[in-house]
Amino acid sequence: MAGSDLFTGTLEILVLKALSWGPRHGYAVGRWIRESTGDALVIQEGALYPALHRLERKGHLAEEWGQTETGREAKFYSLTAAGRKQLAAESRRWTAFASAVTQALALSRA
Amino acid sequence: MKRVFRFSEGRDGAARDVRSEIRFHLEMRAEEFVAQGMTPEEARRAAADAFGDVEAIESEVRSLRSGNERRRRLRDGLRGFGTDVAFALRTLRKNPGFTLSAVAILTLGLGATTSVFTVVNGVLLRPLPYERPESLAMVWLQGSAAEGLAGNLPLSSGFYLDLKAQARCLEGIAGFRSWSYSVAGDGPAEKVEGARVTPSLFGVLGVRPYLGQTFTEAEAAPGGPRVALISWSYWRRRFGGAPSVVGQRVMLSGEPFTIVGVMPKGFAFPRGAELPPGLNFAARTDLWTPFVFSAADTRDHGTLNMAAVARLAPGVTAAAAEAELTAQLHRWSEENGSRQRLDYRLVSLQEQAGGPVRRSLLILMGAVGLVLLIACANVTNLLLARTAARQRELAVRAALGAGRGRIARQLATENIVLALLGTGLGLAFSVGAVRAMLSLVPRSLPRVDDVSVDGRVIALALGAAVVLGLLFGIATAYQVRWTQLAASLHDAAGRATGGLRRRLGRRFLVVLEISLSLVLLIGAAELTMSFLRLQRVEPGFSAERALVADVQMPLANGFDPARDGPRWRAFFAQLLDRLNAAPGIVAAGGVSSMPLTGVEEGSGVRIVGRPAPTTSSGLRTQYFVTAGRYFEAMGIRLAAGRVFDGRDRSDGAPVVIVNREFVRRYLPGASPLGLQIVGNFEFFFSNPPPARTIVGVVDDVRQAARDASPVPQVYVPEDQMPYPSQTLVLRTEGAASIALRPLQTEVKALDPVASVSNVRSLEELLASSLARQRFSATMLGLFAAAAMLLSMVGLYGVIALHVGQRRREIGVRMALGARAGDVLRLVLDEGMRITAVGLVVGVAGALATGQVLRSLVYGSTAGDPAVFAASALGIGLVSLAATYLPARRAARVDPTVSLRAD
Repeated sequence: MAGSDLFTGTLEILVLKALSWGPRHGYAVGRWIRESTGDALVIQEGALYPALHRLERKGHLAEEWGQTETGREAKFYSLTAAGRKQLAAESRRWTAFASAVTQALALSRA
Repeated sequence: MKRVFRFSEGRDGAARDVRSEIRFHLEMRAEEFVAQGMTPEEARRAAADAFGDVEAIESEVRSLRSGNERRRRLRDGLRGFGTDVAFALRTLRKNPGFTLSAVAILTLGLGATTSVFTVVNGVLLRPLPYERPESLAMVWLQGSAAEGLAGNLPLSSGFYLDLKAQARCLEGIAGFRSWSYSVAGDGPAEKVEGARVTPSLFGVLGVRPYLGQTFTEAEAAPGGPRVALISWSYWRRRFGGAPSVVGQRVMLSGEPFTIVGVMPKGFAFPRGAELPPGLNFAARTDLWTPFVFSAADTRDHGTLNMAAVARLAPGVTAAAAEAELTAQLHRWSEENGSRQRLDYRLVSLQEQAGGPVRRSLLILMGAVGLVLLIACANVTNLLLARTAARQRELAVRAALGAGRGRIARQLATENIVLALLGTGLGLAFSVGAVRAMLSLVPRSLPRVDDVSVDGRVIALALGAAVVLGLLFGIATAYQVRWTQLAASLHDAAGRATGGLRRRLGRRFLVVLEISLSLVLLIGAAELTMSFLRLQRVEPGFSAERALVADVQMPLANGFDPARDGPRWRAFFAQLLDRLNAAPGIVAAGGVSSMPLTGVEEGSGVRIVGRPAPTTSSGLRTQYFVTAGRYFEAMGIRLAAGRVFDGRDRSDGAPVVIVNREFVRRYLPGASPLGLQIVGNFEFFFSNPPPARTIVGVVDDVRQAARDASPVPQVYVPEDQMPYPSQTLVLRTEGAASIALRPLQTEVKALDPVASVSNVRSLEELLASSLARQRFSATMLGLFAAAAMLLSMVGLYGVIALHVGQRRREIGVRMALGARAGDVLRLVLDEGMRITAVGLVVGVAGALATGQVLRSLVYGSTAGDPAVFAASALGIGLVSLAATYLPARRAARVDPTVSLRAD
């Protein structure tokens, strides 16, 4: 993924996760990712938008224009049922992957 | 989050959408930086830096988006359509009364239309099952009417061979004639319908055998090997479909033949119903043997007994070929000093097959189209009434934000679903109906084998469904009072039905229905009258209690009466003597060509002592060879003299019996008994032909058809002119069927290879001679009945609705002193006005279309005022009944109830 040092597909999991609490606009999704990862994952913020639209194309997200609390117009994204299922599956896969790698690294150190 | 409504974007919209989304992001991010203490300018730059290449990302998203957009629109469209259909089905289920009647009416209308179209398609439209059938044509000779040679005549072998050798406008030509064989088996000998064909036939038609080979020219040479081809169905029936049949030897009419091939499934050329009946072809041909030309045949231009089919050379039209061949023929006639004026006539095979029934089929198609039109008018009326009743529901949906287009689409979907339901059921209905129709015309309909529901039929039915659905949709959408949708919310549901324009529209539809019904009824009545008249025509014989069967002696080694005559004569004499002595049989006889079977044999005759006629072929007459007590068995009345008896043996004085028409036309004023005639029909082994003394005069017999006018006929005894096949007539004391067993026993006892076929009662034969007329009359009668039923339902519906709407008004009138009789009259008046207009329009329509029917009507009563009056009166009375029911209900309105109705 251009401008990102994330593992492939990671950004999409994070986007899905960011939306799991309800509809958010793109900026909010980006801010959630920055804050929840403690800015540890540096992504070029623009890379977020192709990811959002790709997820929409897959049917994982739905979009709708709406107003923010401050009265500004913004496009809101929300998880579809398929997106929710995808998030669950990806989270399981990621956890399994991460723990496997962690375990392997721990072994080689020993 | 509050929703914001945005118009769905096009291409530009998508770009704007992406840009504003990104701009929003950058602004929000900049605000964040400002909050951290940057100047707005710095914040903006920092936000852009953090974002990356704005242009590149924007274009990436845009391309992703345009794909998304297309997909989404398709998905929404499909989902919307699915919703519409589901909603339509739900609505239809919720109104079972409406749905059942609408679907039933559509099923009837579309089912009947599809059935008739299936037959029209099979008989007239489908290409014949041969290669490039459009370039195939039958080749006939045509003589002059003055010589009694009118109509299409078959060729002689000499003409055929000339054509084969010279005609450059033909790519190929093949000759054939009917020739049945009897095949002895375990039971009684079986007659197999066959044809002798030139080897070129299969090439001309472009048909290859399923197994083995077709004939070679060597096999058609005199003295060549005896070979035969069999049909697929005969192969399955007789040989159980064993491939080893090729090369097998079979006994045909007592002679050994080798089967060289099996033709493909469905191939049965020539099929009798497609060719002139006089050529005696069976409905389907099962066996083919090569046509062998003897040395004499090659020079024979006189015996016209060979049908021919040709394939036109590429780029040559039938008319051009006809002109070229006729010119050649005229040159030949001059060179050979022939006095006969003959022309060639080419008839495309498709035309030949379907031509005779085209007119009646197209009339039926038109009639069923009218039924469909009436059905549609009826359904439209139902829909209009229902849409009016649904005005409130539609108003609610409009109020909830459904646009006009959306509602119209919903209505169209409902109607298409309705029409599709009707079509589906109609198609199912037509499968049975087609079978029933075909059983009404078992023999006389050409191309019966080609009639089946095919892609074209299904396409037509589906097309009709969609067109009807759209039309219904338009009609109903047009009727929705868009501007008043809101107003009708306040209105009570039951009352939103009025509207002068719509009432007029509904009445117009009923007027249309009644007038079309009258057109159909008059047509059906005229055909039925014509049919009844035909049935009353005396055929010249009496049909009760008589069995008819074809008995054929095997023809081995060709038709040679000089050699085989004594054997034929002896066989039929013995057979008929035994049958005449059998218990239960009153009289038994036989004839060479049975009346009303389409077979006729004609010839020229000369009267001894009178000057020769000026035409080359002499006086024309039909001739018959009779055996046994034919006239008694057939019930043909003797007008003068005597019938044949024991005196008229082969060695007795040559005798003949003529009919009244013969005397009327050729011997006016003379006493015919004792006069002598000489016929060209005599076999030439007695040379010169004998002068036959007229010993009797009998009644005229309708030979070609019931509506044929009487023609001269002569009868000759079998003993003096032996003939290998006779149609026996066995007059019985009781039921005709009792004669069957003695017939079969005696035939088998006398000659195990002689075959008995085509057993039926004389009454059946008489009835089947009118099968086509009965078919047309029955079908048209059915259509007229359906049309009347439908239009009465329509009239009833309109009046009932009208009464329902006027309950209040009627209540008020009655409260003010109107009596039940006044109300009854009020409503009846309404119904009768509609009916009267319908009848006037209908009479005009019937007068306008009467010309079409005239050709099918026997006798001079097309346009009979009595038929018109009776039909109109009939519809008037039924209309009165249809109006009376709702009128009576109106008259019983309780004024207090109706005033409280709202």
